[in-house]
Amino acid sequence: MFNNIKLSLFLASRSMIKGNKSTLLLIIFIMSLIFVNLVFIGSIFLGVTEATNKQVINSLYSNVVIEPKEDEKYISDVYSLEQKIKGVPGVVGISSQYVTGATLSHKDKHGTWTVRAVNPDDEMKVTTNHNYLIAGNYLSKLDENEILLGKEIAGGYGGDLEYSSLGVKVGDSIDVLFDNGVKKSYRVKGIFDANFIQTNTMAYISQKEMESVIGLEDKASQILVKTRDNGNEDWYIKQLLEMGIKEKIKPWTVYAGMVKNITNSFDMIAMMISAIGLFVAVITIFIIVYTSTISKRRQIGILRAVGIEESVIIQSYIFQAMFIVISGIFIGLIIIFFAIKPWFIEHPLKFPIGLASLLILPEKVSINAISLIIAALAAGFIPSWLAVRKTIIDAMWGE
Amino acid sequence: MTWDKANESLIEIKDLSRIYTMGEVKVKALDNVTFDIKRGEFAAIMGKSGSGKSTLLHQLGLLDMPTSGEIIFNGNNILGLSESEKARFRLLKFGYVFQEYALLPELTALENVYLPAMALGRKKEEYLKAGTEVLGQVGLGTRLHHRPREMSGGEQQRVAIARALINKPDILFADEPTANLDSISSKQIIELFQKLNKETGLTILMVTHEPDDMKYVSTVVWLRDGELAERGK
Ligand SMILES: Nc1ncnc2c1ncn2[C@@H]1O[C@H](COP(=O)(O)OP(=O)(O)OP(=O)(O)O)[C@@H](O)[C@H]1O
Ligand SMILES: [Mg+2]
Repeated sequence: MFNNIKLSLFLASRSMIKGNKSTLLLIIFIMSLIFVNLVFIGSIFLGVTEATNKQVINSLYSNVVIEPKEDEKYISDVYSLEQKIKGVPGVVGISSQYVTGATLSHKDKHGTWTVRAVNPDDEMKVTTNHNYLIAGNYLSKLDENEILLGKEIAGGYGGDLEYSSLGVKVGDSIDVLFDNGVKKSYRVKGIFDANFIQTNTMAYISQKEMESVIGLEDKASQILVKTRDNGNEDWYIKQLLEMGIKEKIKPWTVYAGMVKNITNSFDMIAMMISAIGLFVAVITIFIIVYTSTISKRRQIGILRAVGIEESVIIQSYIFQAMFIVISGIFIGLIIIFFAIKPWFIEHPLKFPIGLASLLILPEKVSINAISLIIAALAAGFIPSWLAVRKTIIDAMWGE
Repeated sequence: MTWDKANESLIEIKDLSRIYTMGEVKVKALDNVTFDIKRGEFAAIMGKSGSGKSTLLHQLGLLDMPTSGEIIFNGNNILGLSESEKARFRLLKFGYVFQEYALLPELTALENVYLPAMALGRKKEEYLKAGTEVLGQVGLGTRLHHRPREMSGGEQQRVAIARALINKPDILFADEPTANLDSISSKQIIELFQKLNKETGLTILMVTHEPDDMKYVSTVVWLRDGELAERGK
């Protein structure tokens, strides 16, 4: 057994060393491209998904969202609820807020957008939008007639929805007509660009200001809860429920339906492209091994006549296929980690959902490598097995 | 004991037939051939082209499967062996030399020669030594690391003979080993066979259509249209 492997390796290595090196290099290069392609497609989609998820968490919903009970417009007794939430270990930020639709207008332009009213000190612990001001300043707790606009509302910063923007600058005054009929003027205090179209189409005012507009206190449309880690939302929700909270508690993922659709489509596309890549790899190796067994038919006959076992001959071809694929994977890894990955870190891709880079997961890379190796195994086995099916006489002297 | 051994049959061939079927047509390449090869014999198979010489050699060398009949080697019917047992048998007991030199072009002379020893699982220093020795025996001690294409036809044929010898076979099968060679190289090969037969007692069965070769061999098996026509010089 061990001796057979030694013999196969000997035959395989001689055949490759003395064979056509440029062809061999070319095939290895093709394999590396196929491998890079497999990894790249998966990673780019993962990267986009990951970026989208992060955006939803960091700029829109945080980790856990508490909403009013069924049939109620607002959460009541917000202060005492906040105390309960604080009791859950791992909660690092809580931001209760009012959310309303409003029509914003400036000169002859107007449009309807979502307005969130927050306590800026709390909000800064929960979302990262304060880090993305492109003009002016962030809100402060006592601001009354100040409003913060996403860049798609303000306009002038190359947004994707520029046609519907108001075209205002910091310091300009805009009119806001709230859902409840109240109309007020606000000064634009700052403009932000969170790299996320859904966030950039929102405006912020202070919680205190909103309470005076709607004449309510200690209420909220939603409470965003930021946790120390991402991905453990279910555990936190359980803890919150155990605290006796009766309001609706949801993880951020329920707001990421759009992301889920994208992810599913990406998985589908990635699978199709991977399958095509693997198929191309199989065909390439099959052709290489097949032509080799055809051109070496007589040599295979000689080996068998002398008494070399068929399995040794098959193995020697499988080893050659393995060598090609493993070298290809190796070169592919170098290309991925020393060229593609650094390049995409430098030049992230810009999507409406934000900036995305590659997300290269070791387990996915391993799966790609293993599937390529298995493909090569099959592609090396079949033609060499067919070759030793021939009779020795046919192999040596047949047409 | 020596006398006994010399008269002992190495291979007994009984009612051996090989019929090739090509569609409707059946070719009786071998037709109920019966004879035996004694240990230590240097036998020639002769006959006209198409008389079945190669076919006979292929059956005896376990490279093909006869349609009917028996081949008894050292008292055992070897036609019942499985494919992998046959491969092992060829590796251990048989040596082959074909009309074409039948070397692997990617391997050096030495590598071509030691391949069967390597396949037997012998140690590296052993097969290197044995390979060098047999190449010396065929007069190629200085050409160990040359590739087949760097050698003449006669030299390549001698490499093939060295390869056939390395595992110390019981019998050497040769199918017109000199057909592609000039007269000088042919003579070298035949004399080498004769020397091996005399000095090591190697049994040799050689197909030839060269009447001159008759003077080197101890016996001739004559074939005519697939049938045994005559046995003896
Ligand atoms: N694979 C095959 N299929 C069909 N017929 C075959 C096959 N091999 C040999 N034959 C036929 O069997 C007969 C014997 O052929 P064989 O090759 O044994 O002759 P030979 O004596 O070696 O001839 P030569 O001196 O030309 O080499 C011939 O009629 C040949 O045509
Ligand atoms: Mg012949």
